[in-house]
Amino acid sequence: MRVADKMSYNQVTGNLQKNRLEMNDLQNQAATQKRINKPSDDPAAAARVLTARTEERGAKQYMKNINVARGFLEFTDQSLGELSETLMRAKELAIQQANDASSSVETRVTVATEVEQMHSQAVQIGNRKLGERYIFAGYKTTQMPFDMSGEYAGDDGDMKIQINKDAHIAMNIPGEKVFLGRGLSEDGLIRSSAKVPKSTEDVRQYKFDEKQRKDFNQEMKDEPTALRAPASTTRGEKTYESKTAPENTGTNVLGVLKNFEIALRVNDKDQIQQAIDDIDAALSQVVQARAMVGSRVGALNAATDSLQKSVVDSKSTASNLEDADLFEVVSDINKTDSTLKATLDTSGKVMNMSLLDFLK
Amino acid sequence: MAKIHGMMDIGKRAMMNSQTALQTVSHNIANRTTEGFSRQRVEIQTAPPIVEGNLQLGMGNRAAAVTRNNNPYLEKQLQKEQGQMGLHQGRADSLRRVQEVFNEQVNKGLNQYVTDFFNSFRELSNNPESTTSRTMVKETAEALVGDFKRLDHQMTEIQKDLDERVRNEVEEVNKMVKEVASLNEKIAQVEVQGIPANDQRDRRDVLLKKLNEKIDIKWAEGDTGMVNVSTAGNAILVSGLDHQKLETHENPETQRVDVFFKPTDSVPAFNITKRISGGSIGGSIQVRDTIAPDFKDKMDQIAYSLAREVNRAHVEGFDRSGRQGQAFFELPMEVKGASTNLAVSQGILDDITRIAAGATPGAIGDNTIANVISQIQYKEIMDDGTATLDDFYNSQVGRVGVLTQRSIKSAESQENILKQLGTIRESISGVSLDEETAKMIEWQRSFDASARVIRTADEMLETVINLKRY
Repeated sequence: MRVADKMSYNQVTGNLQKNRLEMNDLQNQAATQKRINKPSDDPAAAARVLTARTEERGAKQYMKNINVARGFLEFTDQSLGELSETLMRAKELAIQQANDASSSVETRVTVATEVEQMHSQAVQIGNRKLGERYIFAGYKTTQMPFDMSGEYAGDDGDMKIQINKDAHIAMNIPGEKVFLGRGLSEDGLIRSSAKVPKSTEDVRQYKFDEKQRKDFNQEMKDEPTALRAPASTTRGEKTYESKTAPENTGTNVLGVLKNFEIALRVNDKDQIQQAIDDIDAALSQVVQARAMVGSRVGALNAATDSLQKSVVDSKSTASNLEDADLFEVVSDINKTDSTLKATLDTSGKVMNMSLLDFLK
Repeated sequence: MAKIHGMMDIGKRAMMNSQTALQTVSHNIANRTTEGFSRQRVEIQTAPPIVEGNLQLGMGNRAAAVTRNNNPYLEKQLQKEQGQMGLHQGRADSLRRVQEVFNEQVNKGLNQYVTDFFNSFRELSNNPESTTSRTMVKETAEALVGDFKRLDHQMTEIQKDLDERVRNEVEEVNKMVKEVASLNEKIAQVEVQGIPANDQRDRRDVLLKKLNEKIDIKWAEGDTGMVNVSTAGNAILVSGLDHQKLETHENPETQRVDVFFKPTDSVPAFNITKRISGGSIGGSIQVRDTIAPDFKDKMDQIAYSLAREVNRAHVEGFDRSGRQGQAFFELPMEVKGASTNLAVSQGILDDITRIAAGATPGAIGDNTIANVISQIQYKEIMDDGTATLDDFYNSQVGRVGVLTQRSIKSAESQENILKQLGTIRESISGVSLDEETAKMIEWQRSFDASARVIRTADEMLETVINLKRY
């Protein structure tokens, strides 16, 4: 093949350009430490990096959510602990005052005053606040849930907190359930509503169901004797918080204390003995609520572990996809550098040679 | 006697022909770097011999023609490949800018704004009573709306720049078309005498290649050596000595700069934009009219679906004061243009307590709606319910990456093809200094020798004249 001057010049400039471009790209990789600096560097990986980053940000948010929920639940647990201690003391007093050998009218009146104190202490526990929020008020977190007579002003809302992509956990126990024993499930346990509405359609259904449930509960409250669950409502059909059947109504903790106080004041030995059983029932209701709180905290801890792992996973996925392998980059730089030098060297020689140089 | 004169004559002509050859050599050397130049050669032939008796005597040489070393088929191939390169480079240049709009490797982009937006609802769900988390929801919503606007705005800017580019390149095309027509005239004038118009043809080849790099052309050479050039199907740009200009006007419908062709003065110009399929103009138009609007449309879909879903959930809820939730976003009237027209509704901007977090009125700690809204992030609301917002957007980022990568790769491989063809072309048509130097020496020697022939003839003549003196 015939070699024209332009061929070698074009080749020299072409090769130099290619080497410089390669060098530039490698230097950019070394400087940013990233293999992907724009989507076209690796389109599939660039899209996956975005997914990994979303995962990571989501996981971090859920960990924040969990911290809020944990604080709430731990405070609930602490408060219920105090409540159960109060009840335990009340039980001691009841046992003490239930037989005539260790008590008299006078001691019962004295103890009655103490029990009255206990009642108001229990009410105060029910009105506990975490920050600006009443923890036992259901959704009505800015409204004091219990007045001194033990009337409940909150509702039975469960504040659901998202702990991962598709799981929610309730971070509160409505005071109505644990203090008044209302709205327990059929087996007498305190449960949060099983289903969390996840879409607008769910919300509509949820609102409808909630309204029905509330109406029913209201009806029960107004006419306790007339309460019977409708024949059509069987266990299997229920999607949401069950409509509470009357025989499943739990113990009114505040009422138990009040009754005990009254029994002491009127010196009614039978009622005082009855109070022992009632306080036991109240105690088991509170303990059972604490167990529920404890199991939720356990679930939160498990979720935190898996979220932490998922953050690390997402990070390493993104890093694997987009980070430059520094060793490789540096060795490539060296290689390109020596190629560039060789190109420059040979180019200088080729371009200097001409017949004209030999015709002097 | 005739032979001595013959010698002188041969010597004289040989000297002249050597000069011709040397001038051609110097022309070659001078145009060593000229783009598209083909090296030229003087075709030296033996002059017609004469017959004397039974002898045929050679009469020296004659310069038959100055020709160029050129392979027209290779030129045609080069021109075709250059057109392909123009197309791919035009696309790659524009797409590089489009992908920067979606580049989240360095900057914060829509993916992150969407995540932030939904995370702010999760924060609200943690603390539905607080005004701080409501402010956060408002701020992230505004940032999200702002980023939709940024995307749309940047895409529009790219389209506007491409308009400008189309306009400038059409101007260049017009200039080249004019030059081709005037070269046609010169070539015809020269070649009608049977003389090849080397330099003009070289120049015209360069122009045709450059034209094809800008816009896809078809051309054919007629008997007189003139070429007819047409583009976009039937828009005849050059016909012999005549040429027609392309025009650019803003299309009032699309607000884009379109290319028009006016065949004659009496006929109204017609739009040929859609039929331009090659060259860098074709590449720019493809990105501007097909790819960019498609991405804009996808962003509109995201903006619209997101706003619609959030609104649907939000109106089911109740705000901090127990009022029924209103629309969270001002939902645009239609999907088209949704990303620019999207806005957070004024009611919420004015009063953040109007953000509805709960599903029950008067229950301030109810976070049901905040949960539902944050869950929209994972709901398959895009592409007829087959993709989530994140999936849909990320796949668009992947798509712009693939498109750009492919265009860059095509442009690169096209460049390599051109480089190879260019090398072959140079091998045939390129000037080599060594070669020209050797030729120069050769012809110089020939010139010297021819001069010597004349001197010899002169001495011979002198001898003949001096015969009488002795």
